[in-house]
Amino acid sequence: MFANVGDELIIEGHRIGEPRRVGKVEEVRGDDGGPPYLVRWDDTDRTTLLYPGVDCRIEHLTGTGKDS
Amino acid sequence: MNVSDLAVREPVVIGCDATVADTAALMTSSGVGCVIVVDGQTPVGIVTDRDIVTRGVARQYPSDGRIDGLMSLGLIALDVGHDLDDLLHVFRDHAIRRIPIVDHDRVVGIVSLDDIMVLVAEQLSGVSKVLAGQIMFPHARDEAKAPAATS
Repeated sequence: MFANVGDELIIEGHRIGEPRRVGKVEEVRGDDGGPPYLVRWDDTDRTTLLYPGVDCRIEHLTGTGKDS
Repeated sequence: MNVSDLAVREPVVIGCDATVADTAALMTSSGVGCVIVVDGQTPVGIVTDRDIVTRGVARQYPSDGRIDGLMSLGLIALDVGHDLDDLLHVFRDHAIRRIPIVDHDRVVGIVSLDDIMVLVAEQLSGVSKVLAGQIMFPHARDEAKAPAATS
């Protein structure tokens, strides 16, 4: 997984009715754009450190994303 | 209060290529119900005894299958520099029961909601002693009352 600061991070709900969580990558802690990421979540406007799983995808809103 | 003061227990970690049986054995020997799954030093997931039951045993997932097939993904962690207030926000915002505490990508502790409940209970215990004192010695309150106005 690769992300730039400013990219959108999305975790889809795991159950029916569970909303997706969307946040913005504020800091990339890993090497070469890798995780963990400091993410500011849209619904709470607070940041947490996230080690994303395979249920997470990155929308590259900035720069040139290598993959998602 | 800093989160590192709350993360008093050593985190129990296991490699992502370990088996379910290995993980269950580690939980038993360590006396914990939750293990952080790591790839090298980097945390990649978390697995509880309940996960092993509901996602493993109940679905006939083989006991020699890899533990990363059962673990919860998308690990929410907190840096050591944060305080109790930050921790409570994370518990509330993400509806999780355990938060790994990391220091430069290395897990140095884990705080559970149970730890917070114990802390709150201890603090309430201190407050309740004050209340108990007021109930047992009501004259103390009478003495504190302002004198009645005279006509």
